[in-house]
Amino acid sequence: MSDVAADPRVDPPLHGDEVTILRSFLTFHRDTLRWKCSGLTPAQLARPLPPSEMTLGGMMKHLALVESNWFDSVFSGVDLMPPFDTVDWDADRDWEWHSARDDSPEELRTLFDEAVRRADAVVDEALTHAGLEQESARKSRHQDSTFTLRWILVHLIEEYSRHNGHADLIRESIDGQTGE
Amino acid sequence: MTQTFDTSTRTEAPLRADEVTALRGFLDYHRDTFRWKCSGLTQQQLAQPHAPSTMTLGGLMKHLALNEVGWFGHTLAGAAYPPPFTDIDWDADPDWEWRTAADDGPVELRALYDDCVRRADAAIDQALARDGLDARSAEPSSKDGPFSLRWILLHMIEEYARHNGHADLIRESIDGMTGE
Repeated sequence: MSDVAADPRVDPPLHGDEVTILRSFLTFHRDTLRWKCSGLTPAQLARPLPPSEMTLGGMMKHLALVESNWFDSVFSGVDLMPPFDTVDWDADRDWEWHSARDDSPEELRTLFDEAVRRADAVVDEALTHAGLEQESARKSRHQDSTFTLRWILVHLIEEYSRHNGHADLIRESIDGQTGE
Repeated sequence: MTQTFDTSTRTEAPLRADEVTALRGFLDYHRDTFRWKCSGLTQQQLAQPHAPSTMTLGGLMKHLALNEVGWFGHTLAGAAYPPPFTDIDWDADPDWEWRTAADDGPVELRALYDDCVRRADAAIDQALARDGLDARSAEPSSKDGPFSLRWILLHMIEEYARHNGHADLIRESIDGMTGE
């Protein structure tokens, strides 16, 4: 770990109720992504590790979309947050990955933080009514079934973890920084 | 001989399930994803890193086998490590499992991995029957006391998902195979 001071993460508690532990792991991985993407120039954020085309800037914008897709669209049944609500997805299914190269590091981070803030507000609001068994407004595209809030939270943890695995190797190839 | 994996046997975690079923479903999904990412490769391909990282798929398989019996067998249940992890001088050779995987054939690695997963599942079954997800680990953490089974299961999900992120990029660099 080349810059410990830039790592503000808090380890999830070893004991706790289900909600506390799930949200702590999710926060840990959101912060891991912020850390892996920090301190880089626009050119570095747009640099892939071939043969993969993924970039850290694209990943940050993708995970902002993932947050809004699960919590706004699937769970709440409302539109995606801007700028994702007006994108022509048929024209470019990977728009968020491609367009990230035109965004500054500050713009990408602001968008990501806003997506996380909105997602947390959705979860907070939902948990004032009922627990993790409550079901999503929209159904799965693959199965005739809604998702529980529990499933969505665990899915977000594994989605972030997997992308943080990609981020580990991409970051190491950019400036040699490694670390869990 | 290479390892094989039938992807049709990999199933998503159920979308509406209780906590235990959901967590074990996500863990199994990532174990199978990992088996798939390592399947169909020769011993030489399993030992091929994606520079500048030094990780390999064979090393990952032996590392995750060690994690299974480390977290669920040793830490949770207090059991001794099974061969070949006994009698290793970890202080002298902290990356033993990564280093020695290059000498193991694909079928041998997979047999070790599958055996460690079986042992882990038996330890999980026992702990759940005793105390459910609040079960406390036999071995404590170095500073914060025992772990809950809930924490260990979520940790293993994020550990697998992150390593599957590494596996995604390593596998793509070996033969171009991609996929979630």
